[in-house]
Amino acid sequence: MWASIAWRLFWRELKRGELWVIAFALFLAVFSVVSLSGITQTVRVALEQRSAQFIAADRVLGSSQPFNPEIIRLAQQQTLQVAQQMQFDSMLFSAQQMQLATIKAVDTAYPLRGELVLHQSDNVLSGELGSLTPGQIWVEPRLLGLLEVSIGDDIELGSSRLQVAGVIVNEPDAPLSVFGGSPRVIMHIADVAATGIVQPGSRISYRYLFAGGNAELDRFATEVTPLMSVHERWRNRDRQTAVGGALERAERFLLLAGLLGIVLAACAAAVAASRYSQRHAQAVAIIKALGATTAQVRRIYSSHLMLVVLFSLGLGLLLGQVTLLGVESAIVLYVGDFRPEFSLRPIWLGSLTCILCALLFAARPLWQLTITPAIQVLKQPVQQLAFDRWQFITGAVAVFGLMWLFSGEWLISIGLFLVCGVFVGALLGIAALMVKAAKPVAAGQSSAGKLALANLRRRLWANSFQLITFSLALFLALLLYFVRAELIGQWQQQIPEGAPNHFLVNVSEAQRSQLADFAKAHQLQSEPFYPVVRGRLVQVNQEQMRDEATKEDRTEQRTGVGRELNLTWLSTLPTANKILSGNWFSTESRGEVSVEQELAERLGLKLDDQVQFSIGGQMVSAKISSIRQVDWNSLQPNFYMILSPDLLKDFPASYITAFYIEPDRYQLVNQLARLMPTVTVLSVEAIIKQVQDIIAQVTVALSFILLIIILASALVLVAQVQATLEQREQELAILRTLGARYAFLRNALILEFTFLGALAGLFATVLAEVLLLTLQQRLFELPFSFHYALWWMGPLSGALLVSALGWWQLRRLLQVPGAVLIRRVLQG
Amino acid sequence: MRMTKLPEIHIKAVNLAKRVNVSEGSLTILHDISLTINQGETVAIVGASGSGKSTLLSLLAGLDVPSAGEVFLTGQPLHSLSEDDRAGIRAAHVGFVFQSFLLLPSLTAIENITLPAELAGDKQARQRALTLLKQVGLQDRADFYPAQLSGGEQQRVAIARAFITQPAILFADEPSANLDATTGQRIEDLLFELNQQQGTTLVLVTHNAELAARCQRQLKMQAGRFVDTEEPAHVG
Repeated sequence: MWASIAWRLFWRELKRGELWVIAFALFLAVFSVVSLSGITQTVRVALEQRSAQFIAADRVLGSSQPFNPEIIRLAQQQTLQVAQQMQFDSMLFSAQQMQLATIKAVDTAYPLRGELVLHQSDNVLSGELGSLTPGQIWVEPRLLGLLEVSIGDDIELGSSRLQVAGVIVNEPDAPLSVFGGSPRVIMHIADVAATGIVQPGSRISYRYLFAGGNAELDRFATEVTPLMSVHERWRNRDRQTAVGGALERAERFLLLAGLLGIVLAACAAAVAASRYSQRHAQAVAIIKALGATTAQVRRIYSSHLMLVVLFSLGLGLLLGQVTLLGVESAIVLYVGDFRPEFSLRPIWLGSLTCILCALLFAARPLWQLTITPAIQVLKQPVQQLAFDRWQFITGAVAVFGLMWLFSGEWLISIGLFLVCGVFVGALLGIAALMVKAAKPVAAGQSSAGKLALANLRRRLWANSFQLITFSLALFLALLLYFVRAELIGQWQQQIPEGAPNHFLVNVSEAQRSQLADFAKAHQLQSEPFYPVVRGRLVQVNQEQMRDEATKEDRTEQRTGVGRELNLTWLSTLPTANKILSGNWFSTESRGEVSVEQELAERLGLKLDDQVQFSIGGQMVSAKISSIRQVDWNSLQPNFYMILSPDLLKDFPASYITAFYIEPDRYQLVNQLARLMPTVTVLSVEAIIKQVQDIIAQVTVALSFILLIIILASALVLVAQVQATLEQREQELAILRTLGARYAFLRNALILEFTFLGALAGLFATVLAEVLLLTLQQRLFELPFSFHYALWWMGPLSGALLVSALGWWQLRRLLQVPGAVLIRRVLQG
Repeated sequence: MRMTKLPEIHIKAVNLAKRVNVSEGSLTILHDISLTINQGETVAIVGASGSGKSTLLSLLAGLDVPSAGEVFLTGQPLHSLSEDDRAGIRAAHVGFVFQSFLLLPSLTAIENITLPAELAGDKQARQRALTLLKQVGLQDRADFYPAQLSGGEQQRVAIARAFITQPAILFADEPSANLDATTGQRIEDLLFELNQQQGTTLVLVTHNAELAARCQRQLKMQAGRFVDTEEPAHVG
């Protein structure tokens, strides 16, 4: 029987609009969690799939030992796709020339992700597509020039002869380095044995490529790890994407901003629940007087909360999923072969948030409601927004719980929680002081302004609470608005319009002027020429490096880089570089080198160490004079080692430069390749596009959060104003009876909210400015500059928003004729 | 099957006192009240505002507990029962009519009437409610919400609600005070009519001498005590 009463009451309360604020607040919490968590996850999946293309697989296991059939068997057992790959350096011989090349031997399953594009002509822009078959070899276009061969000619590799079938246009897992290294060729793995190159001790890199579902890949990784020897290791792809770091920062920021929006929504739910409970105290007393037990009342009202939770949860999950589908279809536009991955995380995270908010924010007032004594039926209902210690404690527990849930880290949660605590405490103190200070001004009530101030003062506690929530809401909205602008600005700055999208590598001294002429003739914006000399690091402070070819046992020695380094010499520090210690070269610098920080750490190098390079058989010594931090995300040629100009200027160098070529003039790339066949042209268009896509997606997510925060803020305001509705009704009735005119009451009301809004806006501005300046310094590494627009936007938007919402809420009350108001109040 | 006969004494109070805490200390609202009310009796508790009559009603109906003394309702010691046990006794034996009607605004007239019966698990609640609505002359207002009814109509709904569980005792707190004279008169007539029909014990709190005069017995209160009554002699 109680269920039918509960259902009827719930349905009517819903229709009367009593439960909407709670329902909408909970809905907002679920919806924002589901969409935000879903969006960040989808963008991450898209990014992972994108970067999977750069390794041609989902996971790659590298080894210096021949393929282990057991590993392949285990992968097949997990229904994973497997491809095998071998890579080694070897000489290629044509009838006229010979050339060292990097040979990649693959099977027909390659690539598992991304696309291998082979053209059967030497034209990279158009040409008939080819496919990999045994007996053939596909070469990088510049190799045709270097070996002086044409398509269809044979070249020798070890003891095999292979026919040049065409050129490689796109090799998904080609190294992203703009230096390229030796020219690359691709052949079928079945032909490797015949070359006779694979001998015990030959330096061959074996790779297993795997693709499949995440669960299968993880299971496989767990199974295969015990089988792995020191020769095998997983090759990660973390550094493959240019914006990995930026996205990671953005994701944290998104969730954090989203979380604060959720906390606001939860506050709205708490205020609304507390009002609901006050308004229903008499109903509970009546029901109890009519013979209901507390247990019956509890069942009735907890079922209300449960139904609201179910309603909000259902709607939130549904609309969240719809939003996600929208985002996924938008991503498909950017990433053609995007495969959405269904994840339960947004759903359980959203559900848990909703339940946590309902239990810890809204349950307490409803619990209080059910213990209303029956005797209350004979007493006048009291409307007040009293401070409830338990509500405060449960609210704080909920906020902390949510912080932990989202960040998953105790330290961040505790830190953030404490910051919020200090923040709320400070606001509370200031608000109380300011509202108290209004007392002398509001001594009389002869004008609308004084009445407004008196109203603010009378509801001291409620107003302090309102001021905090309004300030928080405005602060978040302002912060997000400005951070969003700064983030986007920073990202766009990273890849400005017209940033070089084609790098030219292996440019000889003689080709420099030819290239400059080409650029001039076609009005291309060209970058400076960076000289490159390849050399191997052989000694540090007289100590030999371990990877140097030797028959002696040198396991105790320093580990080296393991490959030749691209060395350059520059007199000015490149833009994406920052000196961490030591000094950049001066004009008098002789025999010095500047080392990149991560490499210095890996090799244990420090300032004033003496290093020796072997360059074409000659030894060059230099003293480390600075350690540099390099922004690898910048699309610029970056170097691990920069030597002082005196050391390398006499060595034969090749050069690197870059052009920006508009998409409609890409045929210039082909012309250039024909003109200078030995020059490698690398397009970074794909990387630039990826960065721009991600910026676009994150921008959408940021705007989405801004919208959620504005909605949550408005909801808090609506809930707060509604909570004082009965009290205001009584006051209005009295004032109307005493002869106050409509215009006077209207002005007082608008002034009260304008003042409250402007004050909240001012607090929000101060806080937002402090945080923005900190973020500017710490996160964006931008120069210190005030946000002047903030100082008028904050108070003005606060005043406008709060007064408009307050007016919208209360205008109907003002329009009620005095007599009706009085009757309503008298009837209780 | 033979029904158990209810005890003749329906309500009994012995040395009831009620004190409340105020900022200056403790304030005694009721002093040493003793009374008995028999089955079917109609009793008016009269007195000026603040004389303690509503407090006495709340103690007799088990809405509140006394600070001292004992109170029995249909033989049950209300003073020693929990709030929920008292609610159980109210559900089984008590009906209420309040000065400000106290209908649930989100329920219609008929739903308000059925509420106590439904809480008691009565499956015939709706049928009974319809009969009562007819008796109070509101059969065409069954699906109206309280806000759509006049004060008199709301009180009639409240009376119907009070009688739906066929209570042994009806408590009425100033039932006509919020109504104009004519409507108030009609409401009083209705209340007495239904009371007579159902043989209910009626305890009525009022400051209206005319209304009090319609009861068999009047207990006058002043500053928390009975005055000019023979009540203590009834005890025992």
